[in-house]
Amino acid sequence: MKVVRILTLAGGFGALLFGQQFKFDFDRLAAKASDTVDVSLSGSLLQLGARFLDGSDPDEAKVKKMIAGIEGIYVRHFEFKQDGVWTQPDLESVRSQLKAPDWMRLVGWKSVEDGESAEVFLRLENAKMTGVAILATEPREFTVVNIVGPIDLDALAQLGGHFGVPKLKPDKGGKKK
Amino acid sequence: MTASVLEPPAQTAVEFAGLMKQHQAMVFSVAYHYLHSRDLAQEVAQEVFLSLHRNLASIQSPAHAGFWLRKVAVQRSIDEGRRRLRRPQVALDDVAEPAVAAAASSGDPMLGETLRKLIATLAEAPRMVMILRYQEDLDPVEISEVLEMPLATVKSHLQRSLALLREKLARRGLGER
Amino acid sequence: MDWLEQELRSALARKEPPPGFADEVAGELAGGARTVVAWPSRVTGRWLAAAAAIILIIGGGVGYRRHRGIEAKRQVMQAFAIAGGKLNHLQEHLKEVSQ
Repeated sequence: MKVVRILTLAGGFGALLFGQQFKFDFDRLAAKASDTVDVSLSGSLLQLGARFLDGSDPDEAKVKKMIAGIEGIYVRHFEFKQDGVWTQPDLESVRSQLKAPDWMRLVGWKSVEDGESAEVFLRLENAKMTGVAILATEPREFTVVNIVGPIDLDALAQLGGHFGVPKLKPDKGGKKK
Repeated sequence: MTASVLEPPAQTAVEFAGLMKQHQAMVFSVAYHYLHSRDLAQEVAQEVFLSLHRNLASIQSPAHAGFWLRKVAVQRSIDEGRRRLRRPQVALDDVAEPAVAAAASSGDPMLGETLRKLIATLAEAPRMVMILRYQEDLDPVEISEVLEMPLATVKSHLQRSLALLREKLARRGLGER
Repeated sequence: MDWLEQELRSALARKEPPPGFADEVAGELAGGARTVVAWPSRVTGRWLAAAAAIILIIGGGVGYRRHRGIEAKRQVMQAFAIAGGKLNHLQEHLKEVSQ
């Protein structure tokens, strides 16, 4: 069953720029994806979401802190049932925009064996970070992220590794093992 | 209100020694498979048992002890993994493979080491889910209880991780024979 | 259980810690008594009362704005989960390559 979760409250679509720092035009991929996540949050809607984050939850508190400095977050994430749906031109359509002088490639990794790649780019103005782009691919996944504004990449990476693993509260209960 | 935790009496010390002997392989292995470092696993395992000693009064039964130790081992391993991201890494070549518990291993050792390395590259949540499933033989409901993670999320992590491992092994020519 | 799951069971079989592990723990325990201090209950009670009052003040009914806020929060968390997950995955691979 095709699952399409289009979470675009702020009204950003396809190739249009609503505060994004480069164009996303992935209608073709969206049409073929078995699962799509499409988030475009900026301005007052982003801040509204931040206000509903629970400061007593460790993960939400960290996100709340990270959001404080950013103006927008845009995510296009596609999953496919088979290899070969996304192509190099899809990736190049974004990567070519990140060759502009105000973008700097921070790090990249590629595994020919596994068919995976990931790159992180920073947008700089007067030596200050004003945006981040993450491009990540797997044979059956294609992800583009643009965060507008400065963000702590280490904190973001740490957070990303453990969503869903809560803090330990060992208590009652016997187990058979 | 303050409380002081004093040395337990001799019979409790014997019980503690018994619990440690019974569960040390489990605790050490959770940490080792998660961190892929014998030294770090040993440190984590020691911390877990020291914590057990401090909390011995709240342990209700031998079964409860096992459940408690598993949960604490999981959480301490995850915590150490996050701390390790900031520290220089020990070269895996320098780490001798720990002895395997008797009658536990019958598979291809090269494939086994490849699988352990691939597991170590998974994100935190799916990595720990896989360890609890295939080291501890817990079913998804039990894993959901230990990690306090929704059952659907556990199943999703298992499904995606197995699919990912299959793909990666196939690309290495290490698929099913 | 298929072949991969059997191999995983084998690869992730439990391993004993190095010899002397129990002695090292015993050595740490020989360090003496520890003291645990809990928060005084009157402090906890005051904070809980304040939190309850705040919840009553701002929680006066579910409206459209609240619905949008909750939905926006959900999207924020999902966006950060994806972005953070990809970064974490990249970090793990870079770590492996550097070893």
